[in-house]
Amino acid sequence: MNTVSVNENPFGRKLVLACLLPILLVNIVAFMVPVLNLAAMSFRAASSTGSLEEGITVSTWLGLFGDGYYWSMVGRTVWFGILITIITLLLSYPLALFVSRREGSLKAFLVVVCISPLLISAVVRTYGWMVILGDQGVLPSLIRASGFTPPRLINNETGVIIGMVEILMPYMILSLLSGFGKLDATLEQAAGTLGARPFTVFRRVVLPLSLPGILLGCLLCFVLAVSSFITPKMLAGGRVSLLATEIYDQAIVTLNWPLAACLSVLILVVFGAALVLYGRLSKIVE
Amino acid sequence: MYLKVDSLEKRYGAFDPSVSNLSFSLAQGELLGLLGPSGCGKTTTLRMISGMVAATSGRILVGGHDVTGLPTYRRNMGVMFQSYALFPHMTVAENVAFGLEMRKHSKHEIAKRVESALAMVRLNGVGDRKPRQLSGGQQQRVALARALVFEPDILLLDEPLSNLDAKLRDDMRNEIREIQQRLRMTTIFVTHDQTEAMAICDRIVVMNKGRLEQIGTPHEIYETPATPMVADFVGRINRLKGTWRSDGAIDINGSMTIRASRPGARGAPVLVMVRPHRIGLVASGSAIPSAEHENVLAGTIRQVTYIGDTLQYSVEAAGARILVEKATTSAGDPFQSGAEVLLHWSEQDTLTFAADGER
Ligand SMILES: Nc1ncnc2c1ncn2[C@@H]1O[C@H](COP(=O)(O)OP(=O)(O)OP(=O)(O)O)[C@@H](O)[C@H]1O
Ligand SMILES: [Mg+2]
Repeated sequence: MNTVSVNENPFGRKLVLACLLPILLVNIVAFMVPVLNLAAMSFRAASSTGSLEEGITVSTWLGLFGDGYYWSMVGRTVWFGILITIITLLLSYPLALFVSRREGSLKAFLVVVCISPLLISAVVRTYGWMVILGDQGVLPSLIRASGFTPPRLINNETGVIIGMVEILMPYMILSLLSGFGKLDATLEQAAGTLGARPFTVFRRVVLPLSLPGILLGCLLCFVLAVSSFITPKMLAGGRVSLLATEIYDQAIVTLNWPLAACLSVLILVVFGAALVLYGRLSKIVE
Repeated sequence: MYLKVDSLEKRYGAFDPSVSNLSFSLAQGELLGLLGPSGCGKTTTLRMISGMVAATSGRILVGGHDVTGLPTYRRNMGVMFQSYALFPHMTVAENVAFGLEMRKHSKHEIAKRVESALAMVRLNGVGDRKPRQLSGGQQQRVALARALVFEPDILLLDEPLSNLDAKLRDDMRNEIREIQQRLRMTTIFVTHDQTEAMAICDRIVVMNKGRLEQIGTPHEIYETPATPMVADFVGRINRLKGTWRSDGAIDINGSMTIRASRPGARGAPVLVMVRPHRIGLVASGSAIPSAEHENVLAGTIRQVTYIGDTLQYSVEAAGARILVEKATTSAGDPFQSGAEVLLHWSEQDTLTFAADGER
């Protein structure tokens, strides 16, 4: 028995359990049950009308594994997730660093400014991007007016990436800021007195100390990028198929629920892998 | 003079200046103590000299060159931070090696010098640990090793021994002095412990409220303090308020007369200060040795405090409480509380200041 922790805890173990129980129940009912249900559904078969047939079968899974189309979709989804995460990180990092170095009310104001996009629904923001990037939109018109031929910015991969990066930046900035706890101006000054130039200070002190925030932000953005379907659907115009949009199509349009369930389980596997990688890396960083 | 600080001033925002009109200089290889109460601007001064904060006005010269605008990394000054500022993601050895790496020493050379620096601060064998796995005093010594190891031209130490036990503090103090003299490093040693400053510094700057109060050798600071603040700060001292009489003596309370070696203007109010251990104590009625230049005062002992190496007597005399300190002997206390005694001290030991603070 671990008497030490019981003694340290003024309320005792029972109260702690009692307090945890409600959230535990909610998690079991609202999260674990649907997930298990989903896993079970992936072993059923769908009729052409969309209703589930009797009996258990692995035919959906076999069909999935046998079809290169789905493999390349998983690959593309992961690749997009990584690409979007990296671009989001590169754009957010300097901003977060700048904000974390301000003080007092200015800092609070800047944090609010950075996360204020979250107050507007992703649908509305994506629609904004359609207005900006569309063929007759603001940006292509501007490019045309200055005498160049604008590249296609919508209904293709470029559009999805631009939109997703903007949608995810507030999350990345928040994670980075929360992970910058160990950063301290005195440490940078100390490196300076030891003879390190500004870039060396960044490479040897600032960057290593902000790795926890970077890892957290990357995990969060990767998961959000892989699972989001509104923005890719609106900006891809059906020309880029990713796991999340495919699940949506299978479940809502084609009414093939078992296939949608299989793909959902695949996404869960991808998330699991991302979590394991995150755990490994943050242990190294420690 | 090798390092020269010229009318330096620092203001943070609209507050009173943290440092103002500060000027002093150090010869090459000199160890200068920077002494003063908490918040008087010692750290701010070091930060300006090392270039971590920009001075509001004033100049800093090293070897005749103005370095005021030079970035920190080009000043070649070893700085030990009051808060240590060890890199948390590096091991102790990596922390100490950092300055050597920046100077592009060979791997072999770095390993050798890190090893000997850690030995110098009595920390052999902890090189592979992270700073957070060390005690406060151990971290402080790592910070010291890191500032010393690359043998900078100028060494700035901000309270380098504040977190060590008395024994280790004495050892490290002498170690710093020894290395500083061997490598002839021009050093500023910030402390608020006057014994520490007296023990190793060539000269001492006493600061108060951002200003220079006095600069001088430990002896000058202690024996001829320029202001009551300095006198008070560098050791325990008695204060008596009085008035200069026309014959050059001082009248205290109308009931006591004191002579000082340097008389002041007649009728002016005066602050008299005497160190407790410079006051002699004899039983009432005994003869006083060399009474001619002595101030003598009758009093009653009200309290006796034993603190090991000294006995402190609180004596009531001429309506004031006067503290007297005597070295203890194995024979025990010669005086008990309530005893009638005579206090006596020489004119030279009588420090006088004009009552508004100037001498
Ligand atoms: N960044 C800052 N912003 C505003 N005021 C500051 C700042 N840094 C220091 N000060 C002020 O400057 C004054 C001097 O501070 P400093 O740290 O130099 O004192 P110190 O002599 O080192 O004290 P201690 O012995 O406690 O370390 C203090 O009144 C402090 O409040
Ligand atoms: Mg300080």
